[in-house]
Amino acid sequence: MSGLLLRRLLQTPLIVLAVYTITFLLAWALPGSAVISDEGRQPPAAVLEAMEAQYNLDNQWVFYWQYLSDATGASWLGTKLSGGTWPAERPMLDFGPSLRHADWRVNEIIVGTLPVSVALGLSAITIALVVGVAVGVIGALKPNSWIDITTLSIALVGISLPSFLTGTALLLLFPVLLGVGRVAGWGTVGDMVLPALTLSLPFAAYIARLTRMGMIDVLGADYIRTARAKGLPERVVILRHALKNAFLPVLSYLGPATAFAMTGSFVIEMVFNVPGIGQHFVSAVLTKDLFLIMGIVLIYSTMLVLLNLIVDLLYGWVDPRIGAGSG
Amino acid sequence: MLKLLAPLLFLIGAVGVVVISDRPMPPADYTFAQINDFFTLDPPRMSYEQDLRMAYAIYEGLVRWDNETFEIEPALAKRWELSEDRRTYTFHLREEARWSNGDPVTAHDIHYSWQRAILPDTAADYAQLFFLIDGAEDYFNWRGEQLSAYAALPERERTEEAARALRAEADERYRETVGVRVIDAHTLEVRLQRPTPYFLDLCAFGVFYPVHRPTVERWASVSGRSGRIEQRHDWTKPGKIVTNGPYEVTSWRFKRDFRIERNPYYWNPEMVRSDSVAVVFISNGNTAVLAYQTGSVDWVENVVVDYLPEMIAQKERGERDDLHRIVQYGTYFWSFNCTPTLPDGRDNPFHDPRVRRAFAMSMNKNDIVNRVRRVGEPPATVFIPSGSIPGFDESGSIRGVGYDPAGARRLLAEAGWTIDEGSRRLRNSRGESFPVVELLCSTGSYHENVAQAFQIMWEETIGVQSRIVPKETRVFRDDLKRQNYMMARGGWFGDYGDPTTFLLLHTTGDGNNDRGFSDPHFDELVRSAEEAPTPEDRMRLLEEAERYSMEVALPVVPVFHYVRYYLYDPDRFSGISFHPRSVQYLWKLENKP
Repeated sequence: MSGLLLRRLLQTPLIVLAVYTITFLLAWALPGSAVISDEGRQPPAAVLEAMEAQYNLDNQWVFYWQYLSDATGASWLGTKLSGGTWPAERPMLDFGPSLRHADWRVNEIIVGTLPVSVALGLSAITIALVVGVAVGVIGALKPNSWIDITTLSIALVGISLPSFLTGTALLLLFPVLLGVGRVAGWGTVGDMVLPALTLSLPFAAYIARLTRMGMIDVLGADYIRTARAKGLPERVVILRHALKNAFLPVLSYLGPATAFAMTGSFVIEMVFNVPGIGQHFVSAVLTKDLFLIMGIVLIYSTMLVLLNLIVDLLYGWVDPRIGAGSG
Repeated sequence: MLKLLAPLLFLIGAVGVVVISDRPMPPADYTFAQINDFFTLDPPRMSYEQDLRMAYAIYEGLVRWDNETFEIEPALAKRWELSEDRRTYTFHLREEARWSNGDPVTAHDIHYSWQRAILPDTAADYAQLFFLIDGAEDYFNWRGEQLSAYAALPERERTEEAARALRAEADERYRETVGVRVIDAHTLEVRLQRPTPYFLDLCAFGVFYPVHRPTVERWASVSGRSGRIEQRHDWTKPGKIVTNGPYEVTSWRFKRDFRIERNPYYWNPEMVRSDSVAVVFISNGNTAVLAYQTGSVDWVENVVVDYLPEMIAQKERGERDDLHRIVQYGTYFWSFNCTPTLPDGRDNPFHDPRVRRAFAMSMNKNDIVNRVRRVGEPPATVFIPSGSIPGFDESGSIRGVGYDPAGARRLLAEAGWTIDEGSRRLRNSRGESFPVVELLCSTGSYHENVAQAFQIMWEETIGVQSRIVPKETRVFRDDLKRQNYMMARGGWFGDYGDPTTFLLLHTTGDGNNDRGFSDPHFDELVRSAEEAPTPEDRMRLLEEAERYSMEVALPVVPVFHYVRYYLYDPDRFSGISFHPRSVQYLWKLENKP
């Protein structure tokens, strides 16, 4: 176990560095100047040159290394080791200024928006997990019954419908027609229900299918027959014996799904006006906000790698058959 | 079982922590929905409408516009005098004016703020507006050279100490050479390059508003490497920012919400109608409308939804009275590439103004407005929205070029292009057909629909074929700057109350002249206006420039003047201005519950 952990922890910076480098090359190749905004007046050419010089935008590799060492804390460490003074207002890990939101630094943007996306994504996954597993188990117990067919159809709809449609429908139904909840609000648990529900739909549907398939497989297995023959109550058979094994595919899906739920909520953020980070993934690229692109990518790739690591560790814990060293 | 529940409990716990650490904003006297967050609250760096609207709420300049008439009113300055030669203004500031931390507002604040706006270090979009001040342009250029010389020094000589000395020299030079002079704490003298009738109008423009020096300087440093003043913008955040206007900033959460409350030190509290104002940033138009309908916001400052034409129809049928049309101080147009040759080296037919005029004559703008856009924009044949500038073309004599297909064909024939009887195509005397016109536009908006309508009009009236070239915004901008197009969509909003805010766009070499348009006659009209003996003569010359560019030279074809729709309940919400300059003062707005 600790061998795996150690190896994976050593891999993490290399993976993140690779992601950083590829993103950097792509972002640098984006057309247009990074200091010119899309709309509005243009400052004089001398001013633009000065800005490029200030942000190292006039030299690709200077920017690459400077940003990397600022963002990873290497600059901070270097200054400290050489006995220099690090400005008090400058954070240890400095992701730089945003070029499109002049008054904000990337650190502030991430600190302000990341928790929102994480909360939304985790709520959605929680809902998806509870609903999906329950629906899957029920379906597996009575395959091809009306309840199974109904839940399967809902699952199909859940996967197929785009979230701007389901989201808008929920908005129209609850706050607008029924007067329940707020439109475009964020900050209370109530505000989170509708976006989390919308976001959870495709995940719930997929988890339901995974659970159902796994359960149908497992329920035919010998050890289940043995458990029943021992006279164990059906509840114990299902929950303790069957579900435990049927859950493994769900668990391995949970890692990437959680990561996806925390990043991929651009549409939901638009429809429900959730102040999350998903919108910046898109808008930063469209506006060539280099610092913001690189900052978000660094944070997210680190999170993704760590999340996968957690799922791997959980996997070994839930099912000791999976050797800790073989992951 | 516990093992299965563990991930679930972990998730619920994590969500709980995030939710508990978050608090919604308390209700304000009124709340409005705004599409974009602010770009900056630092006046000299402002150019976006939402930023300027907020500047008028939290800062106060020497003077302000009455936003119903656009006459100049005293604000920070209680009175002022203009010298005989109309080049020197003396402003008398009110002694009772205070910053939101209680500090007095003095002439030094304006002196400092304007220097900051001029310095190339600040990278102000509007630095050029300050070049009207005597010596400002030279100062800007001098500082640029000073910095270049510094950057050329060997690295070991470029220390922070050297950079500070550099700045001290720049401060000294500003005091000595630029025409902004502090007479005493409450008297400021401004000497202009030449008489400028709209200088007071500019002083009312947010970019000219003062900042609080100690606050700004706390976050500014000089870079030893480049010698530049580097400004961190943390100072614009609540808790740090100090302002001198009717309101102060009390909360700002990025792309989420924003709140202002009465500045307790503001000298004229009677003027301010609401104690607190909240802004929520809602980027999705439909969500903004729903937020209004469910009562979360009192005012939507820009209704951007696909079903806007249906909402307008409801209004016309008398089914709703909360939708309000505001004509903007701006014009939507299509640009011609006016350079002699096209990007691929062929002769550019649009180099000939007669061809440009003929194209304009074959564009039916009423059709565009009524059948393509359907949101009630006034069709435009002139660049400067009529009635927006006092004293400019008040008789409405500038007509521009109207829809006239027969006239277009005559004009094309004059320019050597006739419609071939058989093929119905436009050809010249050598039998070459008119090049396929490439219509460059950015994706993701209505421009492609407008371009399609033009395609049909030209095909039918003058036998010209065209092709739409939609490009992603940044690529579009690049192409525009490099004149890599034949025709391209464009838009322009005026900044201050003078025709030059529009006309300078067409002068040779202007930074925003993306058309490569260069006409000595036009340049001469604009230039001689600046030397006109009286403001009236100057206006006549500028009228002539607008007439010439819109009836003869046509670097652009104006299509319509922008409109914007507000959503608010007129029985409860009041204080909105409908003047074509479209400036709203948040302190004038009020919501009666």
